[in-house]
Amino acid sequence: MKKQWGISGMLVLVALVMGMGTALAANTVKIGVIYPLTGGAAAEGRELRAGAELAQEIANNVYPNMAMTMAKNSGIKRLDGAKIELIFKDHEGNPTLGADLAKKLILDDKVVGIMGCYHSAVTKTVSAVCEQYGTPMINDSSTSPDLTDRGFKWFWRTTPHDVTFTKDLFEFLKGLTEGKAKGVKAVPKAEIANLASACEKTEWGSSVSKLIETFSKEYGFTVKKSILYAGKSVDLSSEVGSLKAVKPDAMLFASYASDAILMMKTLKAQKAQPKIVWGQDAGFEAPEFKNTLGDDIVGVLTRTVFLPKVATVKKVAGQVNEFYKKKTGHDLSGASARAFTGVQTWVEVLEKAGSTKPADIQKGANTIHIPGNQLIVPWAGIKFNTSGPDLGQNALGSGMIGQYQKDKDGNITLEIAYPFDVASANLIFPFKGF
Amino acid sequence: MEILLSAIVSGLLLGMVLAIVALGLTIIFGVMDMVNFAHGEYLMIGMYAGLLIAQVTGLDPLFSIPAAALFGFLLGLLCYYGLAKYLLRGPMVAQLLGTFGLMLFLRNLALLLMGSEDRAVNKGILVGKSFEIGMGVVLPATKLAAAFLSVAAFLAIWLLMNRSKIGRALTATALNAEGARYMGIRTERMNALAWGLGGATATIAGALLVNFWSVNPFAGLLFTMIAFTIVALGGFGSVPGAFLAGLVVGIITEFPGIWDFFTYTFHIKWMEQVPMTSFKYTLVYLVYFLIMVLRPRGLFGWKQ
Repeated sequence: MKKQWGISGMLVLVALVMGMGTALAANTVKIGVIYPLTGGAAAEGRELRAGAELAQEIANNVYPNMAMTMAKNSGIKRLDGAKIELIFKDHEGNPTLGADLAKKLILDDKVVGIMGCYHSAVTKTVSAVCEQYGTPMINDSSTSPDLTDRGFKWFWRTTPHDVTFTKDLFEFLKGLTEGKAKGVKAVPKAEIANLASACEKTEWGSSVSKLIETFSKEYGFTVKKSILYAGKSVDLSSEVGSLKAVKPDAMLFASYASDAILMMKTLKAQKAQPKIVWGQDAGFEAPEFKNTLGDDIVGVLTRTVFLPKVATVKKVAGQVNEFYKKKTGHDLSGASARAFTGVQTWVEVLEKAGSTKPADIQKGANTIHIPGNQLIVPWAGIKFNTSGPDLGQNALGSGMIGQYQKDKDGNITLEIAYPFDVASANLIFPFKGF
Repeated sequence: MEILLSAIVSGLLLGMVLAIVALGLTIIFGVMDMVNFAHGEYLMIGMYAGLLIAQVTGLDPLFSIPAAALFGFLLGLLCYYGLAKYLLRGPMVAQLLGTFGLMLFLRNLALLLMGSEDRAVNKGILVGKSFEIGMGVVLPATKLAAAFLSVAAFLAIWLLMNRSKIGRALTATALNAEGARYMGIRTERMNALAWGLGGATATIAGALLVNFWSVNPFAGLLFTMIAFTIVALGGFGSVPGAFLAGLVVGIITEFPGIWDFFTYTFHIKWMEQVPMTSFKYTLVYLVYFLIMVLRPRGLFGWKQ
């Protein structure tokens, strides 16, 4: 009899532990996050991961002094305080691998939704899997305009895409001719009219290249040379030679970290002398771009969605940036700020949905409105298009252009160059050369 | 004319650098008939060795080359006695898969030890310096030094192979290992020497490359395919063939410059529309296929 009681007791204990496990499992919301954690864009991947992890930490704990709703709650309030659990996967820049990982996350890990993937080509395959399984996906960091041009019902993008960013570039060039740039007299258009672009030939770079051509016509500039190159090249001297051959006033690039560094080194070695060097974020904003090239990048422009200087005009950005700096030793970048905002959007969508059912999340995402004062990025807010050709795109996003400059202590920092009304330093123009 | 000259000079410099990347691969194949898939990883290790020696000792990266070479030689020996020696007993497929496994192991080891970020040298006697030699031709000092040392390394290996007793023993082992053994040549030592030389030349190439290329654990992958192409083009096992094939590949990768020369000299509109830089590696591999079809043993291959 004693033995029977013992067995019964054990069974009850096992049942209790299992029940507790289920209860614990039910108390977390799993989000699959697919980033390039190794490979050519690993540096950006690490930034993205650090940004997402910081948002996870803030979402799951209470930080009363932080001016952000997400920081006031512990977990998702409408889901009984369920914690956010991010499951990271590494797509290595490979679209096929990305799609496989998405299937694994949906079928094996039973995630509620997916976030990622930085590379537009990977986001394309991953979002196709999500669409097939009816799993919501929030894209925080891919900027190919095509992604929100497919009419997908389970795909939302928080970041502005390359149409916005490239338009910003041309607004910047136009403003330069109108004397709007801080500290620079109006530059005659003829002096900056000739452009040359070199973009790495993945989906992202190709789309940037096309947009540069389109906007240059619209704004009355001339693209004298437009190059697509293999990001994994052993040498870029022929590319730089081709750019130099047309003697452009401005050289425009879309590159990842390795090729951005190689491109700048080759420009220096070949003594290229453009008046403007602009990069479409990515490699031009990767930490090693600055660490490796040092003074050679003073005067280089890069588009971005976050600059540490934003902290001076936006309290919440400063608070989160300080927190991030304590953890990583460096400021938030465009990549980490966007990943942070992606997780924050997931939290707000789940609050709005009050459920983890895909249909409720879909409804939540389509009706959400996060005001700009809640965000660390300088956008007017987050509100997704629910109809039209740019379906699922955040309609309230905007871009910035930063310029690498040297501060009083000799450190290289990014200053806000555009929008002109929030410029944080006089623009260096023309690019001093090497 | 400036564009054309720049393209040719740049192509020749790059060719010499690529040739030294392929040198170790051709030595190992020449002596042992073994394809070393881990060759690119030796190169990557050479890049890290050059970088770290320069950073730790504060010496100019150029002075780290002898130390990187010694390290590469020892690494080659270690890989031979630890792996390749046993692979030789198996069929060709075991050799292919074995060195493929070595490639994955070394790459992941680098990932574990060094992390995945790009690192580069940004200080040094030659780093960032260029010489203008007229006619619009700019010679980057680091690439010039790499090309010069590449020629020196090729000459040294050629002299070793053709003018020394040990070189003749290597050649005998390459031509007929069994016959060489009957003649008293210790062929296993020759095989180990081939791996050591293969490792040393690859790490020399890496230590030269790190002056103008950033390094990450995947850097070797970029160069492996080019190295295979050069070896196949020049002829498996041929040292002079590898050098000439390197120059050919270098010139082909600069073909966009030659294209630009005709485009802008003769103002040919349709040529402007052709994105030749996008095709430069297509051209390299097209030439490779043509040579393989027309002359499978390569331009200077001496093995049947």
